[in-house]
Amino acid sequence: MIVSVKNLVKRYDDLLAIDHLNLTVHDGEVFGLLGPNGSGKTTAINCILALLEYDKGEIEIFGRPMKPEAYDIKRHIGVVMQNVAVYNELTVEENINYFCGLYVADKKLRQELVREAIEFVGLQEFTKYYPKKLSGGLLRRLNIACGIAHKPKLIILDEPTVAVDPQSRNKILEGILELNQQGATIIYTTHYMEEVEQICSRIMIIDKGRSIAVGTKDELKAMITLGEKITVESQRITAAQLSALRRLPNIVSAEYKNRLLVIKSSKGSNNLETVLEFIKQEKIQFGKIYSELPTLNDVFLEITGKQLRD
Amino acid sequence: MQVFKLCLKILKKNIRSLLIYIVLFLGISTIMASSASTEQNTDFSFTKSKARLAIISEESTPLTAGLQQELAKIAHLVALPDEIEALQDALYFRTVSYILRIPKGFSEKIMRGQPVKLHKTVIPNSYSNAYLDLSIDQYLNSARLYVEQIEDLSQEELVQFLQKDLAVETAVEIKTNDRQAAKQTYSQYFFNYLSYSLLSILILGLSALLLVFNNQDLQKRNACAPLSTANVNRQFVLAVLVFTVLTWLVMALLCLVFALKDGFTVNILYLLLNSFIFALCAASISYLIGTLVKSPNAIPAISNVVTLGLSFISGVFVPMELLGKQVLKFASFTPTYWYVTANNRLASLTKFNYTNLQPVFTSMLIQLGFALAFFAVALVLGKNRRLQ
Ligand SMILES: Nc1ncnc2c1ncn2[C@@H]1O[C@H](COP(=O)(O)OP(=O)(O)OP(=O)(O)O)[C@@H](O)[C@H]1O
Ligand SMILES: [Mg+2]
Repeated sequence: MIVSVKNLVKRYDDLLAIDHLNLTVHDGEVFGLLGPNGSGKTTAINCILALLEYDKGEIEIFGRPMKPEAYDIKRHIGVVMQNVAVYNELTVEENINYFCGLYVADKKLRQELVREAIEFVGLQEFTKYYPKKLSGGLLRRLNIACGIAHKPKLIILDEPTVAVDPQSRNKILEGILELNQQGATIIYTTHYMEEVEQICSRIMIIDKGRSIAVGTKDELKAMITLGEKITVESQRITAAQLSALRRLPNIVSAEYKNRLLVIKSSKGSNNLETVLEFIKQEKIQFGKIYSELPTLNDVFLEITGKQLRD
Repeated sequence: MQVFKLCLKILKKNIRSLLIYIVLFLGISTIMASSASTEQNTDFSFTKSKARLAIISEESTPLTAGLQQELAKIAHLVALPDEIEALQDALYFRTVSYILRIPKGFSEKIMRGQPVKLHKTVIPNSYSNAYLDLSIDQYLNSARLYVEQIEDLSQEELVQFLQKDLAVETAVEIKTNDRQAAKQTYSQYFFNYLSYSLLSILILGLSALLLVFNNQDLQKRNACAPLSTANVNRQFVLAVLVFTVLTWLVMALLCLVFALKDGFTVNILYLLLNSFIFALCAASISYLIGTLVKSPNAIPAISNVVTLGLSFISGVFVPMELLGKQVLKFASFTPTYWYVTANNRLASLTKFNYTNLQPVFTSMLIQLGFALAFFAVALVLGKNRRLQ
């Protein structure tokens, strides 16, 4: 067990930011912490890192209690903060060297590590740049390089891809998987469900400081009753057809809006077949037709009654 | 030593704005030095610094003639008629700076060993007048001594004794005093001006450093590393001290170059010590400003207000004699005032005994007190800010 959080409670004055949170991260996992803005992800991370005092709870990392002065634990943790934390007065290379130097005293070894980190995030051409001259995506990559250069056993990333274009984001996500394959355990927080689905082996969904569901993405999706969502592009659907559709077995809802027919089914097989059969029978003209499996947003929606993102 | 190195790098990154103040200092000091040396040529040639003196004697005896002869050595004698209007005009148009009236019965009183009073009309605040006063006093005192010691002394004999005595001593003494005093006045200006440059550089450098150092995100990020707060603070304070001492060294060296042009004096050592103490105080002020300031854009403005303000009210740019009492009273609540006060006193010193130096040491202690006070306030405020 790499990280264990038991009954964590954190209050900001009147606001209960973390409400009896329990969490375990196992060796070699990519653990995703998914929650909307203000759900308490950053607060949870800060508590885990002993940067914040908390009201109640126990936190252990590598099997030992985590405290501000637990330097032998901190030595093996890599941190990528939500707010980019680099020195504008230092170049890309100097920044990575500085942060790596907080963990690795040996100069030769450090040089090698810094070089590897620069290659890892693909900043080779920008080593002499000052952060002010970097684009948002490159700056995020620098932030990541500063956090992982010392090859930590546990890497905690707090929304490392905010405001990053899709291409940079994919590179970052691939990099994180690579770090995991090299043996690092990862904790990854985000409010993008796509990211979590893409890289996380286990996911915790949190809302208002409470854990509302934990498991692999398949386990999470299995928790809800919703099955696939079928969308049909069609010029004309009559009200009679719509109500007939709703009466079909396993169909939860059917809506027609903006020339799009959206049908939600509950779990079960052959849902798509049933719908196609109906369309054929009714001789409905259609353009495109496609079916989607439920997303984590659907999971979130079904448990909390609101969207993950608005 | 990662943090220490980081601090030096941050300071290095800001060096360009700091160099401006060194260049400014060099420029102004060069101007001051060159104007000083041209003045030196005229002022130091002994004959030209003579006061212009008119003697109105109501009697004519060997003694008055002797006194006139003696004063002619150190002053430029101007003949004036004994008319009120003529005398007033002469003073007004600076034809003379000193009018000495020898009253009737003067010689007789001297010969009897009685106290005499000479009447003088002068232009105020003139250096050479002070020397005249001194010489006249000395002449009269010596005369009294001779009259007391030797019986049946004639006026002629007395005049001869006095001539021998004073010819040697006074002239030589005045000459050395004069030159030394003038020379130190100039090094005092360099050192006074140093307070402006030093404070500017330290405020700009240290607030830039503190601004980075107090950045919440960076602080948090650093707290994730296996490094104790005490260790980080130690390295930080070390960097601040190194920067302060380096800045002082550079500025003091520049001052030395200018001050040593006229030769070395003990005064310079004390001026250096005083400037070092002021540097500590300036570092502490800068630390406080750095703790309070929230945006890098505000630093230059704050720095200018503080450094120019302190310099003006404390007699760096304008001599203290020209400042109002109220201003000086207000200024005495600032360390620059005490730095300049110590400098001004040091400049006029020729003897370095405890009595003479005591006010200087007091000024230095007051500066150290300011340094401690500012630093303590900065620490308290810094702590409160971090808790937020
Ligand atoms: N220093 C603070 N003082 C008071 N309230 C705070 C503080 N930091 C966070 N909060 C509140 O605590 C709650 C959780 O905030 P937190 O930053 O942990 O959320 P988050 O999940 O990281 O959100 P985001 O996705 O926007 O980063 C929010 O309601 C926030 O307003
Ligand atoms: Mg956050």
